[in-house]
Amino acid sequence: MDQLEILKKDWDKQENTFQKFSQKDLSTIIHKRSSSIVKWIFIISLLEFALPLVLLLFTDIEKVSKERYDQLGLSNFRIISYSIYYVVILYFVFRFYKNYKSISAYSNPKTLLKNILNTRKIVKYYIWFNLAITPIITGVILYKTLNSPLFADKLSHTNNIIIVLLSFVLMAIMLALIWLFYRLLYGILLNKLKHNYNELISNDDC
Amino acid sequence: MYFSLPISEINLTVIKELEQKFVSDLVENQNIIHKVCRIYTNNQDAHNDLFQEISIQLWKAYPKFRGEAKFSTWMYRVALNTAITLYRKSKRRIKTQDFDNVLYKIESTEYDDTEEEQLKIIYKAIHHLSDIEKALVFLYLEDKNYREIAQTMGISEVNARVKMSRIKNKLKKIANP
Repeated sequence: MDQLEILKKDWDKQENTFQKFSQKDLSTIIHKRSSSIVKWIFIISLLEFALPLVLLLFTDIEKVSKERYDQLGLSNFRIISYSIYYVVILYFVFRFYKNYKSISAYSNPKTLLKNILNTRKIVKYYIWFNLAITPIITGVILYKTLNSPLFADKLSHTNNIIIVLLSFVLMAIMLALIWLFYRLLYGILLNKLKHNYNELISNDDC
Repeated sequence: MYFSLPISEINLTVIKELEQKFVSDLVENQNIIHKVCRIYTNNQDAHNDLFQEISIQLWKAYPKFRGEAKFSTWMYRVALNTAITLYRKSKRRIKTQDFDNVLYKIESTEYDDTEEEQLKIIYKAIHHLSDIEKALVFLYLEDKNYREIAQTMGISEVNARVKMSRIKNKLKKIANP
């Protein structure tokens, strides 16, 4: 006989075996701390958004100030690149906020899972953007620095390019390590969610 | 998810009233949550943990519940969402004895056809299912038709049927190797 049919017969009878919570019990329970994963996803996402900005602030003040940019003839570059950067950041923050707001325990499981995964995707793209833009900006600054009067007589042109390329490679390695770290982080956070989502939509035609 | 109203005496009273209404609805319908926990957990600690988390999520989501559907219908969604997505199992849960993973053979010392024993075996089989499969089983046991199951889960009806028949086969195999 069908397993579920057997269980279905007695399904409602088991109510007697359940603990019966009182009003008082439940009033206490609903104010306990949630162990929801969405809370953690939000906190980690906020940290991820803040980190590149904090790093930027830190390195910017210490290493390359406005004067340096002007010295290298990069004042326009500086203004343009920073503007683009902040506009893009704002766009990411906006997208993230919109997606995060759409996460609701009231929607169906498919929508809920999709929204959570999409929210994380935005953070992922944000990180990629930061990882991609760093070598570009650094490369430009480095190249200009090596070509400036400071170094002009000390290094040949080809050596400049080699140095730039080398630091490019080093940076790529460092960024690859960061990227690996993120794969790990995502794995831990989202494994169950991705697995459940894929299982849910398999065979789906809607 | 939380109230964004300015804290004033009037609003605090409103919140208190809302909470009272919510809790009395919850007390009346708590068996639904217990049934979900029965499907998703296999020991009392985990059962209570999940019950707590579902209750918290229900309360958080309650302000958005405008009474367009029945309270119990709304509860199904939030409870299943919590079990499938939101809930992070606490580590202190003791792992119950595991069955042979490869063959799903259930060893019993003697064949006992009392109903209680049968139910125990069926529950053990259910606990081998995935989170999604458990949700479908729950809705099926709650006497929902395939259209309702599909709607609650957000999938197509065809998909729900396919999944259910696979689940039934799986359970049959686990319980009768």
